[in-house]
Amino acid sequence: MIDKIVLTKYIISPKLFWSKFFLLGFFILIGFACSLYMEHEGHYVTGMNNQIVWGLPHIFAVLLIVIASGVLNIASISSVFDKKLYKPLAPLSALLAIAFLIAGLIVLVLDLGKPDRLIVAMTTYNFKSIFSWNIFLYSGFAVVLAVYMWTMLDREVNRFSKYAGTFAFGWRIILTTGTGSIFGFLVAREAYATAILAPLFIVMSLLYGTAVYYLILKTISKFHNTYISDDIVKNLRKLTIMFLFANLYFLFLYHITNMYIAKHLDYEIFILSSGGIYTIAFWVGQLFVGIIMPIILMNSSRLSLEYSLILSSVLILIGSFIAMYVIIIGGQAYPLTIFPDHVIIESSFYDNVVHSYIPSLYELGLGLGGVALALIIVLIGIANFKFLPTIIKPANVIPDKDDAAD
Amino acid sequence: MYQLIRSLPFVLLALNSNNLYSHDGEIHVIEGHSKADMLEQCVEPTEMMQKDHFGFLYHQRDNTVIDGIRTKQHSLANCIDCHVSYDKSGTAIPINSEGQFCQTCHVQTAVNIDCFTCHATVPREKKVKASLKNNINKSHKLESSTNSLVKYFNESN
Amino acid sequence: MNNKSINRREFLVKSITAISAVYIVPDLFPKAIAAKPLDQKVSSSTKWAMNVEVDKCVEGCTACVEACVDENGLYGFDRPETDSQWIRKLMIKDIKTDKITTLPMMCQHCENPPCCDVCPTGASFRREDGIVMVNQHTCIGCRYCMMACPFKARSFVHENLTEQLTSAPRGKGCVESCNLCVNRIDHGADTTACEEACIKEGHAAITFGDLSDPNSKVSKSIKRTDSRRLRADLKLKQRVTYSGF
Repeated sequence: MIDKIVLTKYIISPKLFWSKFFLLGFFILIGFACSLYMEHEGHYVTGMNNQIVWGLPHIFAVLLIVIASGVLNIASISSVFDKKLYKPLAPLSALLAIAFLIAGLIVLVLDLGKPDRLIVAMTTYNFKSIFSWNIFLYSGFAVVLAVYMWTMLDREVNRFSKYAGTFAFGWRIILTTGTGSIFGFLVAREAYATAILAPLFIVMSLLYGTAVYYLILKTISKFHNTYISDDIVKNLRKLTIMFLFANLYFLFLYHITNMYIAKHLDYEIFILSSGGIYTIAFWVGQLFVGIIMPIILMNSSRLSLEYSLILSSVLILIGSFIAMYVIIIGGQAYPLTIFPDHVIIESSFYDNVVHSYIPSLYELGLGLGGVALALIIVLIGIANFKFLPTIIKPANVIPDKDDAAD
Repeated sequence: MYQLIRSLPFVLLALNSNNLYSHDGEIHVIEGHSKADMLEQCVEPTEMMQKDHFGFLYHQRDNTVIDGIRTKQHSLANCIDCHVSYDKSGTAIPINSEGQFCQTCHVQTAVNIDCFTCHATVPREKKVKASLKNNINKSHKLESSTNSLVKYFNESN
Repeated sequence: MNNKSINRREFLVKSITAISAVYIVPDLFPKAIAAKPLDQKVSSSTKWAMNVEVDKCVEGCTACVEACVDENGLYGFDRPETDSQWIRKLMIKDIKTDKITTLPMMCQHCENPPCCDVCPTGASFRREDGIVMVNQHTCIGCRYCMMACPFKARSFVHENLTEQLTSAPRGKGCVESCNLCVNRIDHGADTTACEEACIKEGHAAITFGDLSDPNSKVSKSIKRTDSRRLRADLKLKQRVTYSGF
């Protein structure tokens, strides 16, 4: 006799709900206060300057958006690729996607030089700019996700969930391509200006999204009778290993192509050997902790299936953060090659040195506030809507001797 | 239906165009003296300016920045030049400070203006006019040396 | 000597004074020969350009930088990492010959500007007459153009400004860069502040003018010297060219 799986609202005890709510709310308030201070005083209070123009807030924002598109993968597998195993998990995946997307956008907007001009950004468009397209893609994604969630939760429109899911899947691929292209379309910098950043970001989103989804599901299941069967764990492990190898492949391809391009070789040498903290971050953080260690852990026979997945997911997320650091900050740290045949020996604008970046607490506050915002949206969502797949033991079944053996 | 009818007077009150434009014909007392004190009206009739000054600025800024049209009539710099007040010692008072020209209306209408994050609040020209000074010195020097030349030639005659 | 006739010495003295006065007066009021009327739109029939003759640029001289600071009110806060720099002096060494050169670096006013391609609101734009500038009414301060510029020409205003010049509005949260002294050339000047300062120092390394006029200083300078564009491989077709290295 199999257990029945239904989507239920999580009837959280008020104490639990409000304690988590206020904890997350506290971080959100701090984040908001930090952004207000940065906007009021001016960005000189941050670690960002004319050399490193995008810093910690952008690492958080891009990471949150990449995770948002990746975490939808679980729902996409169930709707687009018709894998019935994931169907109960799909609504939560869509909720996480909306939560992380909103959080990423808010962190990005609050770091603008003039956040009060958001209306200008939403009404004046330069369609040559991928940023402009991204504004449409990100806000449109929220709408698409809302429709998709509706088709999954409302029985009457359930038959449209496949179409909504496919549409959301296509949209999210375009969205992640847009995110990768923010960097990929920059001709000026040796670290960027390559088409491969778009697929690299897509596989990164797949990997990080799966990791985040599993960790959040596991956290919720500590307090709630959420359905995570062994089949699901085995499947998620297979997916994670597949995405880890995909990441390794695209990362390798990206760097080796850059090394063949003579004018990018200096930058590659910088990142791969002479860049100090950036080199350490790449090899130890992005590659070893983020990709190699999880592969080793997942293949190790000493750890249980579930525990190795949890540990790998945590390491993958640490690696994700450091990967964004290497891409965003490392890409800006290396000075521009304005004169290929000359060496700049003196400049008042730091053209001749590697740029250093020391983030301020305000940027960290804003970033953490964004993460807290994502989690609070998840919290409010699961407490008010039927997102969680819950195991309901059939009420009128007399327990068998066979059942007791399970 | 009944509630709709009940709310109608409030709707009419809120959307009343008389309430949307305030300060028709009001005169404000502003500290200091400005050029505008002496003038009968602004670059356009006063009523038109009160209602549409933002429209003029909004279009002029695009004309100036994008098309390079720098006519003085609707230019912000011209507004500031005329409406900025000077205190007794002759120093200009920043035009966006409390009690000055912009704020007397904008505080009451609760419309935030962002102009003066970037635009100078008093007419302010280039600080160092070294080139002009140098040239004046140069021409004085040259004048004095040619004067002595003329004197020399006259005396030698 | 009666008043009607003039002797040769007097004539010579008077003409020397007159010629010297004519020599000085243009410095007082630099005016273009045919200035655009204030109410006329800029058009692409004017092609503002600048040529820098690098061999005339002197090591240690920063007249152009100081002139730009004075002209545009670019006062700093003693924070070199975040203070704006619209023009800067670079000292470079040729890796083949070890020869050292100095040159001024500013916005290159590309015809295919990467900064305009990436600006989400279109605030970074190229005016019809070739000047690439930021429409600070629409700039949201995202700094994407700063990421995109291959020459690091743009600066972000990191703090509250209160002492701006009327002719050069600039404020916190917007991105800015060299605009070829657009305010002054729109009002009829035919030199930029950096060019004027360089001429005054006696180096005349910077030449600015209208490319569509074959008799302008910049057209003559380009014809006379071998001018090239920096990072020509990027095919940005900059209006600022360099000759002499």
